[in-house]
Amino acid sequence: MITLVKQETYKLLHKKSTPAVSIALLIIMTAFGVLSKLYPKYWSAKNMFTTMYTGGSWVVLFLIAACSSIIAMEFQYGTIKELLYRKYYRGEILVSKWITMLIYSIYFYALVFVYSLILKVVLYNGNFKLTDTYANNQSIIETQLMNLIGQFLSVWLVLSLVLLLANIFKSTAAAISIGIIGYFALSVVSGLMFVLMQKWDWLKWNPLNMMNLPAQLTSDTYHKMTLLSTPEMICGSLAYTAIFMAISYVVFKRRSV
Amino acid sequence: MSDIILNVQHLNKSFGSKHVLKDVSFSVERGHIVGLVGPNGAGKSTIMKAVLGLFNYASGQITIDGDAVSPISHQAMDKVGALIEYPGIYPFLTGMQHLKLFSKETTGQDQIDEIVDRMKMTTYIDRKAKTYSLGMKQKLGIALALVNQPKFVILDEPMNGLDPQANKDLRTIILDLAKQGTTFLISSHILSELEKLIDDLVVIDKGQIVYKESMATLESGGKRLLVVKTSDDDKATIILTQNGYQLDQTAGVSIIETDDTKMADVIKLLSDNGIDIEDVQHVHSDLETSLLELLKNDKVKES
Repeated sequence: MITLVKQETYKLLHKKSTPAVSIALLIIMTAFGVLSKLYPKYWSAKNMFTTMYTGGSWVVLFLIAACSSIIAMEFQYGTIKELLYRKYYRGEILVSKWITMLIYSIYFYALVFVYSLILKVVLYNGNFKLTDTYANNQSIIETQLMNLIGQFLSVWLVLSLVLLLANIFKSTAAAISIGIIGYFALSVVSGLMFVLMQKWDWLKWNPLNMMNLPAQLTSDTYHKMTLLSTPEMICGSLAYTAIFMAISYVVFKRRSV
Repeated sequence: MSDIILNVQHLNKSFGSKHVLKDVSFSVERGHIVGLVGPNGAGKSTIMKAVLGLFNYASGQITIDGDAVSPISHQAMDKVGALIEYPGIYPFLTGMQHLKLFSKETTGQDQIDEIVDRMKMTTYIDRKAKTYSLGMKQKLGIALALVNQPKFVILDEPMNGLDPQANKDLRTIILDLAKQGTTFLISSHILSELEKLIDDLVVIDKGQIVYKESMATLESGGKRLLVVKTSDDDKATIILTQNGYQLDQTAGVSIIETDDTKMADVIKLLSDNGIDIEDVQHVHSDLETSLLELLKNDKVKES
């Protein structure tokens, strides 16, 4: 299994897009840091920091693209046969890809976290302290960490769906578009969803509601909208992730190539 | 049993309602080069994929070196190298990176360099694969199949896109490896190439095995002819027939050779009768002729 993860990492690192995406992320975060410094009217310094200078949102996009391509590229290049007719079990091949993506997502979140600290120190050293209270009786750094954890869990809910779709459609396009729409659809439909949930209580268990986790973790009133406690939401997110992963596993094992 | 490396027994496979493999049974002897031939869509690639554990099959049994092979049992694949349909290539990696990626821990850099050298890929092996031509990709695919020095190699249309020199190089490599004990299962439509390689032949048509014999048997089964071109073919025909030679009616003066047909006798007989001989040729039926004959008979009924 370690060999397989190493091989997947080798492929990932040798793609031109991999370093390019990391560099782009740092440039975008720097740009937003500088903008919020120059125009504090539009962007509050503290708010910028807790949302990691928009880094979190970009990471979602990059991870959706990476997850769909790590599966679909093998079908596109015809390399799936070469991967499978070795001594390894099919399940191992798929799990090695998941582990690689897990490592990649941890890398990304560590990168945005550390870089947002660097930006804070460079641009706003005197402006605020990380221990200042932000909202909801949480300090700024706590808010940021909660945001990070919440995003990580809800992103993996989306990624598990993207991994499944890439597996079913064998194409990056479908998986990426549905992944992105799914993630960003929340802001569009959440108003309507909350209304419907008031009427039909069981709707609160739908996967889109689970994606409100980052908001709920940084607010003390959000649970009135989502109708779920924070532990319920965490369990729900993990359960959906596990379900999508399990379907993926079955589809991959049964596939004829 | 130990001299059998691949054993396929009663293999059946359907895609939906189409029965693509019907009770396929054959075995491959260790160190032999076996040709798998048949018309397009006969099931060659399907058999190869099943042997590589890429397919679930309805019934039957496949063993490599005694270990069962199926999508959920892959241990035997450790001894196998393969190239199926077209080579799977990552455009963003170089040829060398491919070989490193797919080589086992036990495969050293010297082994990688050796196969690169033998396949004559040194000039472009460090270029990204997206710049490769069809033939270069094909060579890389073959190198990937051979790099781990597997006991058993499966090559599907390996001569695809190769230039004549590369074809010859590949033939030399395959024959060398077979001499050292590597077993090959090769499918190809280029029968003239295949003929120079294989020890045994398996012919498949419409999902059924219609022929499995050694090449020696196949060749001895065909007619060998001694074709002479003379100044007077009609007279030659009469004289030869009178002297007990059997003639083939297909073209010109064609004597059907038996073990005691001697060319010297034929030449002497004709020249004694005042017939000038302009040309003499030995003709024996090649793989192509034998194969087309075999498939024309159409022993297989569509079901």
